[in-house]
Amino acid sequence: MPVWIGKFFMLNILKMIAKTKIVTEKSPLIESIDFETLQKDLSRFEKLDYEVKRALSKSLTIRHLDSGSSNAEEAELLALSNPVYDITRFGIDFTASPRHADVLTISGPVTRQLKIAMDRTYNAMPYPKIVVAVGDGACNGSVYQNTYACLGRVDQFLPVDIYIPGDPPTPEVILKGLLMCKLILIEKKGRL
Amino acid sequence: MKILVEKDIEFLVECLKKTLNVNVKINGVNHLQITLEKNYLLSAVEYISQNSEFNAHLITMLASDERELNGNFKLYIIFSVIQPRTILTLEILLDKDKPSYPALSEKIPSLNWHEREIHDLFGIVPDGIELDPLVLHRDWPHGKYFPLRNDFLLNKQFPFGEVNHEFSQPHGEGMHQIAVGPIHAGIIEPGHLRFCAIGEEIYKFDAQLFYTHKGLEKMAYGKSVEEVLVLAEHTCGMCAFSHSSAFCQAVENLGGIKIPRRAAYLRTIGLEMERISNHMADLMAICSAGGLSFGASHAGRLREFLMGLNHDFAGHRFFRNLNTIGGLKRNISDEFCKLLLEKLEKFKPQFQEWEQLITNNDSLLDRLELTGFLSNENGLKLGIVGPAARASNIDRDVRRDYPYFAYEDYVVKVPIYEDGDALARMQVRIDEVYESLRLIKNLINNLPSGSILDHNSLKYPIHTPSISIVESAKGELSHFIMLGEENKVFRWHVRSASYMNWRGVVQATMGQDRFKNIVPDGPLVNKSFNLCYACVDR
Repeated sequence: MPVWIGKFFMLNILKMIAKTKIVTEKSPLIESIDFETLQKDLSRFEKLDYEVKRALSKSLTIRHLDSGSSNAEEAELLALSNPVYDITRFGIDFTASPRHADVLTISGPVTRQLKIAMDRTYNAMPYPKIVVAVGDGACNGSVYQNTYACLGRVDQFLPVDIYIPGDPPTPEVILKGLLMCKLILIEKKGRL
Repeated sequence: MKILVEKDIEFLVECLKKTLNVNVKINGVNHLQITLEKNYLLSAVEYISQNSEFNAHLITMLASDERELNGNFKLYIIFSVIQPRTILTLEILLDKDKPSYPALSEKIPSLNWHEREIHDLFGIVPDGIELDPLVLHRDWPHGKYFPLRNDFLLNKQFPFGEVNHEFSQPHGEGMHQIAVGPIHAGIIEPGHLRFCAIGEEIYKFDAQLFYTHKGLEKMAYGKSVEEVLVLAEHTCGMCAFSHSSAFCQAVENLGGIKIPRRAAYLRTIGLEMERISNHMADLMAICSAGGLSFGASHAGRLREFLMGLNHDFAGHRFFRNLNTIGGLKRNISDEFCKLLLEKLEKFKPQFQEWEQLITNNDSLLDRLELTGFLSNENGLKLGIVGPAARASNIDRDVRRDYPYFAYEDYVVKVPIYEDGDALARMQVRIDEVYESLRLIKNLINNLPSGSILDHNSLKYPIHTPSISIVESAKGELSHFIMLGEENKVFRWHVRSASYMNWRGVVQATMGQDRFKNIVPDGPLVNKSFNLCYACVDR
């Protein structure tokens, strides 16, 4: 390696950071969601403004579970943590254990060999549990037929709160769905 | 040039006829079929794979339930031969009541998983060895039900049982086991990994995969070609375009369809775009597993830029719904291709700057050097493919050895490294990104005009096997297809790149001699291969 690069390594890092500036995209703010449909969807919320604001200020931890997807959904979820989408600025983070998780995101049709692991992960979560079906495979089974090894969509086995359809859904769409989870979390906590 | 190739194939046919004492059937262009007695199987496989004159490479082995056609099971063992350039298929008919054949995996270790898979799904027994279940876990009623036999109903289901995988349990002072998965801490796919460590050092590593086995090959039985194309695209997300291209190529070879030049060029551009974005994801994973978050976040930014380009180019971030039999579904205009080139020209200096910083970062290099060493012999023995093979000094790339689509017009420079460690695997990827950028530039500058879809022939010969191999970002993948009556799919088989490389991960994690790894190196070794689980499990 050229010696001068090693010498000014830190300088080069700083240069690259300064040159790149901020690449993070504008957030899909709650204003940009069609408010009328949101109100219809979430008619159970009274005083929407206040609730929404309060809910969005809370943090959210996610445990992801692949129940047999093609790995496109995982790639998009992974993309959420890159600097362009930067999911941590919304207080959303992926956690390593289901015991710390508010939300369980599931992608892919449920396979026979993962059914037990899926049930155990769900049972390990604390209340209130939110289940999000990410991608067509989890929402409706996608192109996968039911076979000896593929049992079909997720909501046959677990109560699903939010469906994020798409093949796979883009990171923006997933982000919107996860922000919606915050509203549901507040509502579920109120009920407990 | 053409005459030379024909002569060479005749030479190969003569060699095979003389040595094996069999008839060789030439099916279509460059596809030799040999029907063998099962007693001669082992010697034939050894002769072909060890004869340096042919430079043959084992692609895959699969079984097919052809009891309704000829009252037998059939075993296909497929080789790609470099000298002369052809595909060679050994076919063995097996008895329908007690199908068995002499076991191959003791002599040819890369066939171990294939034999176990065929044993699980077809109940075809390799004589002479004990097999653990692979695809179907232990709670499946093994020995009674074989799901890929055609008389097994598609959605017959069985009650669940507790799965207790049998791992070897070494004992001794300071020995402990670390079980990981199937649900992992990060956002990756499911698989159960088990480390046995003495203190910090990994002594043994074992992996139990096939959690996401969905039975895609069973789903394909009796479906139309277009329906199975969709399944092929959904086999794997990361290499969706490679899978769909390989499937289309297999069907096109079968029907004798020659796709228009423009479609071939556009497909090649798509394949190269997919390669770059996959390599960026791999490099990001290596950086984050190596603890260099600066590198990881910049690689993430560059990858997102490429994914945006993919979306603009193909209308889908993972190139789904673009390929069709005989060409492409949508045309991509010349202006747009020029725009793509401009954007990639902007990408190149950014990548170069990033790459310079990463490859000169001592903290990352220190983690990568001599980590996850895979020797050349082990790589050849296990049949490793793709960037991992090239990092272990195995000079093999389907784009150069068996050119397809627009690779016929361009020579691909293949980076080869001899070190076989995680650093070499990273450097192969970096070199391939530059090479892909160069290829895309050439392809776009010489993009032919004309149609993008060949509507001519939609008549396929029935019950004739067809194989295609394509180099995806993770390595070579192959699709096998055989059509039955009314153009319905009779047998479809996928052998993805990750399927061959998983045993390489296990070997590299365990290390050898003085190249032992410690437990925290496990994720780094895994990420330096960065394999899919979805297309392994299917």
